[in-house]
Amino acid sequence: MSIRLFFIGILASAIIGAGVYVMKLQRDNAILKENAIKLESAVADQKALIENQKKDFQDILDANNKMNELVNVLKKDLEDLDKRFNKKNRDVGKLAIAKTKSIERITNGASALATRCIEIASGSPLTEAELNATKKSEINSECPSIANPKYIPY
Amino acid sequence: MLILSIFLTNCSGVKQLEIFKQEVPREKLNLNTPTPLELENLRWIIITSKNADEVFKKLEEQGIDPVLWGLTDKDFELLAKNFARIRNQLKITNDLLDKYKEYYEPEVKNEQK
Repeated sequence: MSIRLFFIGILASAIIGAGVYVMKLQRDNAILKENAIKLESAVADQKALIENQKKDFQDILDANNKMNELVNVLKKDLEDLDKRFNKKNRDVGKLAIAKTKSIERITNGASALATRCIEIASGSPLTEAELNATKKSEINSECPSIANPKYIPY
Repeated sequence: MLILSIFLTNCSGVKQLEIFKQEVPREKLNLNTPTPLELENLRWIIITSKNADEVFKKLEEQGIDPVLWGLTDKDFELLAKNFARIRNQLKITNDLLDKYKEYYEPEVKNEQK
């Protein structure tokens, strides 16, 4: 009788133990599933962050390139101005003595164009004529790089 | 008495304090863009030893005081170049400001478009 009870006890313990173990496995499984979902979400977040960073780096690179381009074209405008005064050992003073009226006219024309250049540099919107200028006769010769975006020097 | 004490203890339980954090974005600066310059055109008069009398006479005829501020041809060249440099700096500074705004406030830039 006592042996039978002993075996029944062992059997019952084994069944209860197995049940508890299965329940533990189920709980672990549920936690693992939750972890997997969290990991997937974290990976997606990381991917989005990396994409955003890539876009930011590209934007920074583009902005730097555009600023460098601007600095270079403005430098060229300044060199062109220097050429107008000193091209082929030109002496503006002597020219002004010899052709006073025409140099005065040219000076006033250039001065008006240079004034317009400062307005544009300060943010004034370009006029239709400035936007569409493609010929030398149409451009603002003092600052074509900022006044005439369609003009390609020839 | 017992009912009252049960009633009071059940209703006045200490609630768990909940603290949460919510990120509040910094307010946009949104300064107005400066009004572009509208400049007056200057009139340059070239005076040489030959035409000086004629120039002053014309000024008097036009009711303008016969006095002029003078520059040599070299100084005129320097003035022109100085203005070109100031213009370039103005353009670079304005474009730099635009680029910063584009980068840090793209939605503001889009709204303005």
